Amino acid sequence: MPPEPATPASPTTDFSAQGEPLNPAFIEVDHFHFWYGAKQAIQDINMEIPERQITAFIGPSGCGKTTLLRNLNRLNDLIENIRHEGDIRIDGQSLYDPSVEVISLRKRVGMVFQKYNPFPKTIYENVVFSLRVAGRNAKAELDEVVERSLRGAALWDEVKDKLHESAYGLSGGQQQRLCIARAIANRPQILLMDEPCAALDPVATLKIEALMTQLKEEFTIVIVTHNMQQAARVSDRTAYFFMGRLIEYGPTLQLLSKPREKATQDYISGRYG
Amino acid sequence: MTSIIAFGGVCIVVAVFGIFAFIFSEVVPLFGKARVEKTATVQFPVTADGLTGLDEWSQLPFHYDGQRTLRFQPVQPSINQPSQVTLPLPDAVTVTSRRFDPEHNRLILGLSDGQVAIYQVKYASSADATGSTVVKGSVSSERLLPLPPGQPLQSVDYKDAGDRKLVAVVQGQGASAKLLVASLRQSRSLLGAGQVKIGESIDLTAKLEGQHPEHVLIPGTADSVIVETDRHEIFYLFLKNSAWELRQRFRPFPGESSPLAGIDLLLGDVSLVTWSDAGDLRIFSLFVPPGETTRLFGQTKSFPALPGGILHYLPSQRNKSFAVANDQLLRICHATTEGVRASIKLSFRPVDLAMDAKSEHLALLDNSGVLHLYQVDDPHPEAGFRAFFSRIWYEGSSKPKHEWQSTSGTDDFEPKLSLTPLIIGSLKGTLYALLFAVPIALLAAVFVAQFMHPDVKKVVKPVMEIMASLPSVVLGFLAALWLAPLIETRVPSVIAIVILIPLISALIGFGWSLLPVRHRNLLPKGSEYGVLIPIVILIAWGGWHLGPILERVFFVTDAPDGSKIADFRLWWPQFTGTPYDQRNCLVVGFMMGFAVIPIIFTISEDSLSNVPPSIISASEALGASRWQVVRTVVLPVASAGIFSALMIGFGRAVGETMIVVMATGNTAIMDTNGRLIFGEFGLGHGQFPLADHWDIFNGMRTLSANIAVELPEAAVHSTHYRTLFLGAMVLFLMTFSLNTAAELLRQRLREKFRIG
Repeated sequence: MPPEPATPASPTTDFSAQGEPLNPAFIEVDHFHFWYGAKQAIQDINMEIPERQITAFIGPSGCGKTTLLRNLNRLNDLIENIRHEGDIRIDGQSLYDPSVEVISLRKRVGMVFQKYNPFPKTIYENVVFSLRVAGRNAKAELDEVVERSLRGAALWDEVKDKLHESAYGLSGGQQQRLCIARAIANRPQILLMDEPCAALDPVATLKIEALMTQLKEEFTIVIVTHNMQQAARVSDRTAYFFMGRLIEYGPTLQLLSKPREKATQDYISGRYG
Repeated sequence: MTSIIAFGGVCIVVAVFGIFAFIFSEVVPLFGKARVEKTATVQFPVTADGLTGLDEWSQLPFHYDGQRTLRFQPVQPSINQPSQVTLPLPDAVTVTSRRFDPEHNRLILGLSDGQVAIYQVKYASSADATGSTVVKGSVSSERLLPLPPGQPLQSVDYKDAGDRKLVAVVQGQGASAKLLVASLRQSRSLLGAGQVKIGESIDLTAKLEGQHPEHVLIPGTADSVIVETDRHEIFYLFLKNSAWELRQRFRPFPGESSPLAGIDLLLGDVSLVTWSDAGDLRIFSLFVPPGETTRLFGQTKSFPALPGGILHYLPSQRNKSFAVANDQLLRICHATTEGVRASIKLSFRPVDLAMDAKSEHLALLDNSGVLHLYQVDDPHPEAGFRAFFSRIWYEGSSKPKHEWQSTSGTDDFEPKLSLTPLIIGSLKGTLYALLFAVPIALLAAVFVAQFMHPDVKKVVKPVMEIMASLPSVVLGFLAALWLAPLIETRVPSVIAIVILIPLISALIGFGWSLLPVRHRNLLPKGSEYGVLIPIVILIAWGGWHLGPILERVFFVTDAPDGSKIADFRLWWPQFTGTPYDQRNCLVVGFMMGFAVIPIIFTISEDSLSNVPPSIISASEALGASRWQVVRTVVLPVASAGIFSALMIGFGRAVGETMIVVMATGNTAIMDTNGRLIFGEFGLGHGQFPLADHWDIFNGMRTLSANIAVELPEAAVHSTHYRTLFLGAMVLFLMTFSLNTAAELLRQRLREKFRIG
């Protein structure tokens, strides 16, 4: 399903013929290189990701799209022997500035993973985890956040009677939506989604996709996907990666229907590999 | 393949239960009662009452008719011959009192002219052609003591304690009864023991404060007499510096309707057995009561009444058992445990009891001259739940105690078999080892698994695993010969180091967290410890040298000459009232901690490392700090594995043997007579009984060390041997039940924090 037709007043749906968004560039990737040990995973990527839109990263496995995504909240810091060059800025501030505390960065950038991964806790405690680690424990606030987040993740009606049961009692799709609720609980500005539907059945996938189009009202969403149809259905802009390089980046409709590059054309028409 | 694995598993289960079954089978006989079976009767050719005795083979009992005739009558007439001896008593006297000393088979006779005659019944054995034991009995005349002529003797006793020999008699009856004692002296020459001369007899009647003596006993040390008077009191007279003094006077059954009926001694002669008309029996033992300087009699035991009163009493010559009987009942009791070992209904009226030297046969003579022989099978009279787990008032002790002292050099020794101090010792060693090991091992595991740089981790983990394979005898050797003497004089240093290292490390951590991010980011993640290592070394060095200064300031005691001494080893006993041992829990806890740390570390590190990275990433992505990730996600998820690690560490510490054998004093003592640290916090001595036994500067003996030390010396199937097996069973059950409970808890934890 392509994005809804644009009305000129709405900043979220404007993409002009030049592919320039009206929204200000919220995330700027500036000559970014990245190495795992001796292996270079990302080469010289420059891109701007606009605010309150869904930007999809597509490309074959090992093309560097997930690596770039995980650099947006510096989750790659967990891995040893990594190295980078260049810079990534969010809202004008460099992620790699020595005065940046990774923890406060991550509070601004939520993340949903490929395999749903709730904590071995209750539904309630899963949702409020980010508040608790931030030292916010007021019951009234937590209750409110739980309801808002679960409603935001379109899960409230299904779980409101079993908030204090284990999260593992939910179905896979519900668990992934719980992870989304958990990621948005602390109101981040950016939501990173790493193949969020890879482990889900089609019905659950559609629910998540519908949810994403709602969420972009509030969040800047970056999604990594292998599924071209999914990119077409939900994203405003799409970036195609190959061998660690950004090959083509533009409005989704344009990139999928009239790609400029031969490599993109090959990939989306299934001739890749 | 699976069948091979199943077979192996079944074999292990069978082996464990086989071991348990073996231990159990060794332990069960400890809790059995005595078995008493009638084996034979012997008819003496007399019908009068008399006195009887048994040889050590129980083949040739004798009967003494109370005057001049002593008859030996075989149990098996086909092997042994009956014989008869006439005692060479002076003419024209009769025997008016008699006492048989079963220890030396000595017959002490008080005569109507006031003299004392002593005979010894002797047995000699040889094997005949068929291999049967042939026993021959004879009587040797030991001596005739020419006490001053006077009234017939009502009671007589004689004891030979080598250099000192003492005879005591009660002369005359009723109001005219006199208590006389006389020492015997033996001159010694190069040619050996010379002639025995009787000293002057001393009249001690005046010492009885107006009461009249009825019965007199001499303990084996031959330095005192115990007199029962007509007013049912007991007088304890003691020979000190060749003068007799009244040490004690007491009434065993005060203010009761049934008065004292008889007194006698128990094997070892430090316990006085008294019984009343109603058959109540109380034992009084010699000990130094609190506040006194000499040993006095105090009641230590009481036994259920023998219905119908006690007519006969006979102590065993092998242990602290004794037999009492009346017209209907024979009862065998054990003094130490206050247990009734056997009760037998009698169909005849016994006139005397006898027991062989091995306490295997009991003979009861009835009034028609028939001797009823019983076989007594009671291999473990001193055992029982009471002996193993309760306080027992042992002979010579001023109060009931838990005590372990299984062997001694003498036969009349009372084995002290309480397992409680050993159990406490095991728990104490384990407690201190875990107190030291658990925080270090767990924190190290958390650090290595979640914080440390993987390159360093690759080195640290195998090194810790090599530490686990260090033979504990090496650790024990180090503890005993290097560590114990080293920290003996430096306890204040150890205290300073133990307090300073965590304190300063925590302060540095806190200070670090206050630094601006800019500075903190300079140091690569996972290498912050590099800063701490030199600081910890510095603190350890500083603490070591700070110790003597602390000692001079805080741990000062008064020397006997009035000067001040700064020595923790003197200060501790003075301050807490508990002794300071060089080989104490601190040393054991430290060294056993070293044995336990690698185990706890390795297993818990494994489970911490196995926490799925996905949920660690998830919590990091939600803005949790590394410490919050560990606390809120990693530790709960790994809790089941950590719990197993703790339990395996506990099992290792409880069962650890070599280190405790070498590094503790092996003192099975849990009785500390002081006010303790706990007392300082308002928990007075005794209010919190177990707290008295956790003193860190005491030694201990553990169940496992006890088995290792004593099993090689225990006679197979003796009570001692089986009690060591009981210790093994207690250890087995302790770890088995704890591990089972821990496993159940672990399953619940695992279920609760299962991922997915």
